[in-house]
Amino acid sequence: MTASAAALLPLPVAIPLVVCAAMLATAHLLPGRLPDILATLAALAVAVLCAVIARHAAEHPLVYWFGGWEPHDGVHLGIGFSVDEASGWVAAFIGLLYAVTFVFAWGFFGRTHGHFHILMLLFLAAMVGFCFTRDMFNLFVWFEVMSVAAFALTAYHLEESALSGAINFTVINSLAGFLMLGGIGLIYARTGTLDFEGIAAAVARSGRDPVVAGAFCLVAAALMIKGAIVPFQFWLADAHAVAPSPVSVIFSGSMVSLGLFGLAKLSAVVFGGSDQLRHALPLLLTALGGGTALLGGWMALLQRHLKRMLAFSTISHAGIMLTGIGALSADGTGGMLVYLVGHGLVKGALFMVAGILLATRASIDEIALRGLGRGIGPAGIAMALAGLLLCGLPIGVLDQGTRLVQGALAQQGRGMALAAGAIGAALTGAAVLRAAGRIFLGLGPDPGDEAGAPSADEREKANRPLWLMLAPCCVLLALDVALPADLIEHAVPRAASAFLHRPAVAALAEGPAWLPWTSLTAALAGAGYGLFRRRLPALVVRPVSVTQSAPTRALEVLHSGLIGDYAAWLAVGVAVIAVVLGLA
Amino acid sequence: MSMLPYAVAAWLFGIGLYGIATSRNFIHLVGCLGICQSATYVLLLGLGYRWGSIAPIFYDHPPGTPAVDPVMQALVLTDIVVGATLTALLLVLTIQAYKRGGSLDPEILRPMRPGGQPDRGASRADDGERTAP
Repeated sequence: MTASAAALLPLPVAIPLVVCAAMLATAHLLPGRLPDILATLAALAVAVLCAVIARHAAEHPLVYWFGGWEPHDGVHLGIGFSVDEASGWVAAFIGLLYAVTFVFAWGFFGRTHGHFHILMLLFLAAMVGFCFTRDMFNLFVWFEVMSVAAFALTAYHLEESALSGAINFTVINSLAGFLMLGGIGLIYARTGTLDFEGIAAAVARSGRDPVVAGAFCLVAAALMIKGAIVPFQFWLADAHAVAPSPVSVIFSGSMVSLGLFGLAKLSAVVFGGSDQLRHALPLLLTALGGGTALLGGWMALLQRHLKRMLAFSTISHAGIMLTGIGALSADGTGGMLVYLVGHGLVKGALFMVAGILLATRASIDEIALRGLGRGIGPAGIAMALAGLLLCGLPIGVLDQGTRLVQGALAQQGRGMALAAGAIGAALTGAAVLRAAGRIFLGLGPDPGDEAGAPSADEREKANRPLWLMLAPCCVLLALDVALPADLIEHAVPRAASAFLHRPAVAALAEGPAWLPWTSLTAALAGAGYGLFRRRLPALVVRPVSVTQSAPTRALEVLHSGLIGDYAAWLAVGVAVIAVVLGLA
Repeated sequence: MSMLPYAVAAWLFGIGLYGIATSRNFIHLVGCLGICQSATYVLLLGLGYRWGSIAPIFYDHPPGTPAVDPVMQALVLTDIVVGATLTALLLVLTIQAYKRGGSLDPEILRPMRPGGQPDRGASRADDGERTAP
């Protein structure tokens, strides 16, 4: 049974690639909505197959060697896929997110000869391959395929903002690819193999080795660029804000968190045997993650362009996921994996609401949209619910992930990272709730600092019925809220231990129950301040706006949209990682 | 083992990054990105090279003759393909951005402007950008 399940492993990558190639060859012949149907079915097939694979991988990881090139006497010549339960479920989630997004984008791109679907299917295949592979170079190839598809999708509209956002995205992520390749070259030179297990064994033997640390530094920097961790986060706000809304759903829901998924896998499985890295990583990752959570949350609160605000919110949540990885424990990693799925569901739904506003109200600017959402109440309810979930409403998958991450951090006494994560979540929740109140209830006539934030008007086609756009959004939120908690509670300890290649643990620690409520209260207070600023006594408003304005302007200046600044920050970030690893 | 290839690779990456950081022209910037990528070629070839060995083609050599590492050469080949894709894509984006923004300067072609205001410098009357109220 397991042998036949292992034979399934290439299919979730092969199916989208084959459908994509067939569509490319016959695009000019395909009638009307056939590309939509084919793409949705392909994504659904990927989701189902990955779920089947994940169920079979629950006992022990499934391994597939392409062309039957199995390792002999510890020499790995072939390229393999190796899927543990967690990787399988993450891939299944990604397939599902794509299927829902294809429904959301039904007919969105009009007569484009299915180019959108072709790029998206390529993107999907790359993501699944990235989850499944057990070969460093193969990982790099999927990383690059993912990047190239993403670059093209960002610039899809060929408008000026979209083009310059896409150029920034392309340059920074290409640099990430080069760093990663350099790191892979170094680790291959030291260990003589590209297979995860082979490298792990060699790293565990090598002891303190600057080449291993250097290789990890380069690969980790590349994955953190993908994962939008401070100071590599600049590209994300540009790219997610200008990409078409269905593409942003995928970017925020899965691409960014997949970078962190790769980092979790590599730091635990491949480089886990190095004592030097084990000492340096908790501090490095929790500090960067905490900083990212705070910066992303603060910036989100200051935006008026909805998609840009959601992009900063994604940065903040990526930071929280990184603190989970930084715990280097089954609790933290398990929490991060659950968080990845929960965040993808909620953030996907939020970008769909932004897409609905773009299509039906022809604007994406929070202040311009004030009160215009009154006719589409269900979208407002979805947005408010998603905002509450983001900042810690204690139901659903995202909340479960949050509590696991917080539990892991609390156990290791990392109070700073814990607080930063809670504050970051509260800030992004406040931003989303403020926007929901302003757009759908017409509150907040008097904008604060967000009035000066960057914005650009754009439009998306209003050729779809509201229910067709709203249904996928509600499906995502319903999945987040309604997935049975005990099922996850039961599966996560086992899956997280298998993911980390460690003996299974019985149960995972959870964070204090009051913490999500605190975040939620803080978020409501923040949103209330933004909306009712005019009615509050000057005694409250003045000190807040004074302390808010100066750091705000400084941060806006940093996020300049200039590619040169981003490259300089990239060099700083790589240097910081190198110094921390070198001092350990 | 000579340190020279590694020093050259680091230097190439450094000057490429410096070029990107200071560039005022997107085509120049794409060239700088290419220089950063050459750093990876040099690094990988340097890692795979063995003194006094043949190319890993055994057609006219007996098997077992010392050869340079073919895996590294495969990596470099893939890297070159990736590089060609990226350069082509970036140049296409640059051309399209020039058509719409009338400039190749990153300072002028920023993704968004404060308060949604149209930029002053470029001729962008026809792109549908609207001043926010």
